[in-house]
Amino acid sequence: MSKEFMIEAKKMHKSFGSTVALDNVNVKVSGGEIRGLIGENGSGKSTVTSIIAGMQRANEGEMFFKGKPWNPGSMIESLENGVGMIVQESGTVPGISVAENIFLGETAQFRRGGIVSRKRLIKAAQEVLNSIGASYIKAETLTADIDMQSRKLVEIAKVMRKNPEVLIVDETTTALSQDGREIIYKIMNQMKAENKAVIFISHDLEEIMNVCDALTVLRDGKIIVTFDKDEFDEDVIKTSMIGRELQGEYYRSDLDDSYDNEVVLEIVKGELDDQLREFDFQLHKGEILGVGGLSYCGMHTLGKVLFGAERLNAGEVLAHGKPLKNEKEAMNHGIGYVSKDRDYESLSLNASIKDNISIGGLECFATGKFLLLSGKENRYVDEQIKKLSIKCQDRNQYVMTLSGGNKQKVVFGKWIGRDSEILILDCPTRGVDIGVKQAMYQLMYQMKKEGKSIVIISEEMTELLGMADRILIMKDGKKAAEFMRSDKPQEADIIKYMI
Amino acid sequence: MVKNQRKLNKYKIQQMIVQFLPLVALVVLFLVFCAVVQTKGYRLDMYLKIVFNEGIVLAVVATGAIFIYSLGSFDISLGAATLFSATMGVLNYNAFENVPLMIVVIGVSGIGCSLLSSILASIFHIPVFVATVAMMSVLSAVSAQIITSRGGALGGISIPSNVLKSLDVPAFKIVTLAVFFLLCLYVFNFTKIGRREKFIGGNPVCAKLTGINYNKHAIIGFCIAGLSVGLGAFLTLVYTPSVTATTASSLGMNILVAIVFGGMPISGGADSKIFSAIIGGFSYILLDNALELIFDSSSGYGITQIISAVFFLLVVYAASMNYRTKTLPR
Repeated sequence: MSKEFMIEAKKMHKSFGSTVALDNVNVKVSGGEIRGLIGENGSGKSTVTSIIAGMQRANEGEMFFKGKPWNPGSMIESLENGVGMIVQESGTVPGISVAENIFLGETAQFRRGGIVSRKRLIKAAQEVLNSIGASYIKAETLTADIDMQSRKLVEIAKVMRKNPEVLIVDETTTALSQDGREIIYKIMNQMKAENKAVIFISHDLEEIMNVCDALTVLRDGKIIVTFDKDEFDEDVIKTSMIGRELQGEYYRSDLDDSYDNEVVLEIVKGELDDQLREFDFQLHKGEILGVGGLSYCGMHTLGKVLFGAERLNAGEVLAHGKPLKNEKEAMNHGIGYVSKDRDYESLSLNASIKDNISIGGLECFATGKFLLLSGKENRYVDEQIKKLSIKCQDRNQYVMTLSGGNKQKVVFGKWIGRDSEILILDCPTRGVDIGVKQAMYQLMYQMKKEGKSIVIISEEMTELLGMADRILIMKDGKKAAEFMRSDKPQEADIIKYMI
Repeated sequence: MVKNQRKLNKYKIQQMIVQFLPLVALVVLFLVFCAVVQTKGYRLDMYLKIVFNEGIVLAVVATGAIFIYSLGSFDISLGAATLFSATMGVLNYNAFENVPLMIVVIGVSGIGCSLLSSILASIFHIPVFVATVAMMSVLSAVSAQIITSRGGALGGISIPSNVLKSLDVPAFKIVTLAVFFLLCLYVFNFTKIGRREKFIGGNPVCAKLTGINYNKHAIIGFCIAGLSVGLGAFLTLVYTPSVTATTASSLGMNILVAIVFGGMPISGGADSKIFSAIIGGFSYILLDNALELIFDSSSGYGITQIISAVFFLLVVYAASMNYRTKTLPR
């Protein structure tokens, strides 16, 4: 490995209002290296990389790119000069084509006689997509019409088109299925082989340990330690991340898959385009039902259908034996829904923690039928903040300023506060750290013991194996297999039904 | 630790300043206005009365409009709807000479106009901007047609000046504004309706997935705005018993500027404040009148508009700066 530092950041300090995001951070990444950044939500990983990529500036400190001072004024300037970043949240414009997204701001090169040649633009964009291994995405498609994984791949294509010397991948893989992940791993390894540098952020410890040459742990805006590959030890890394040893169980340790016979939520012969086909589904009282499969198997649509947010073409959804037609009815039946797309579908980012938690449970603290008094509301919100250990200054803090894990806790707070009897959780631990994951798993198990029912939709098989009483595998909108917890299914048993 | 505490204090002070800035601006504008009137040698009481009467109408209609703006929508047709309601009121009074009936007709006209806009927007999924621009054109044209065909050489239609004369007193107008404002304040801040409207403005997709019905809340919001239009039309007739084709013509745009002056985010959402209607309404009228007095030449109108526009952009910029400081990428 070359010892030339591609990127070096010295004594970086950054604060947002009263929150110190980075405190005297020093990072050096060499050419030919894949460096992992890991830490709990809010530890400062994205802040340090967003400063390197020109998304924002540090309050103090200096940076060097290949030994020269580095202080990009924007992400565009940064990318033009060799440092590209694939961001954690959505970085595409939905209302334009994939091709226009890939060449955003640079379509002038396809002009002929003052008019952009759409044909040439699409051809060039398709070539870029093909080069990263995402040829299944058609460059002429409207970006709003492609799914989350494909949008992420479009972002990757957009960055890789510029052939960066440093690539920052910020929690991108959490939005990708295994196929998508393979694409990004291939790109990273190719860059490493070309003596370029990659900074990789992920909450998936197993993934980051496999992929990275070295691993830097951040906690509370400070660098805690950097491990070389031969020093990787899962327990030591976890302890460094959270500053203490994880207490209690991570997943459930029992093999008890018993639940009540009462069916609380059901789909009878559900049909919805190519997402659900002759689909029968039953959730029982006190059951944790895991639903797994590949990204396009229909499981994410299933979550929305169960909450009444998508209407079936044929068949019906029954909650406690009664037809369920929309979200309001679902809520009246005590159902809550946590979307996979947290920032877009589950939160109002420009609103406070209080606004986001209380909106789901207005009737829980209303005086009479209409009157909402802030005293009662504050107590209601504070109770959820305390119960879920949401890290915040106070209940009035804007949700957009929270880390991913704390945002997810706010979403949980919205549904748990109103004492939901049934929770539909679509990839609930996406982008959250192990500490928060453990807290969520414990909460789910606690809810099961209280007789509540949970549907957990996940692309992580270990999560389903670790938590579910029953696992339902979907393929092409149909049920492909079903496993009981007591049968001790293995990951390999399940995967063969998914593919 | 001390450094962090200092930063926290600084941040809280900054937030407090942003919070009270519109109120401070109102006080400053009031003082500037008084100084301009005195410097010009005009009667302050007379000019304050003008500001009061214009401000009351703007504040009332803006208070109702907050329910639309908080949804992340806006209604440019409110001025035309006010003109239409006032026109209907005059026609009705002249036909039946019955004040209570006239009030009912004005109210129903205001609500009817807004209801139509909301139905076009929510049921037929026509973008709110398009629906309200179309409504503005239609209502202005219908009103102008009625006024010009019935007003003859006078260029306007009117009710006898003594009919509402007894109500043209500050006490009545203040009480009207106060009652309507308190009602709206209650609905906006202390009921599920207001909460849900603000939440829709923040993220309509998330609102839907939290069981909030957009159509229902859009219709409620537009109806409350319609009520404020009716009230504004009535107060306009109390102040000047005649209606011309230009009555309330700029009200729709003035409301937009006023509520932004009052500290409301242009995109609606959780930060929507109902007080913005009153603070911004009077701030805008004070600014407008002060500028008219300063630039009282024939070119004064244009200069006034340019300065108002610059003020508007500055306020929006300041609000967006506050927004940016809240962003913390993780």
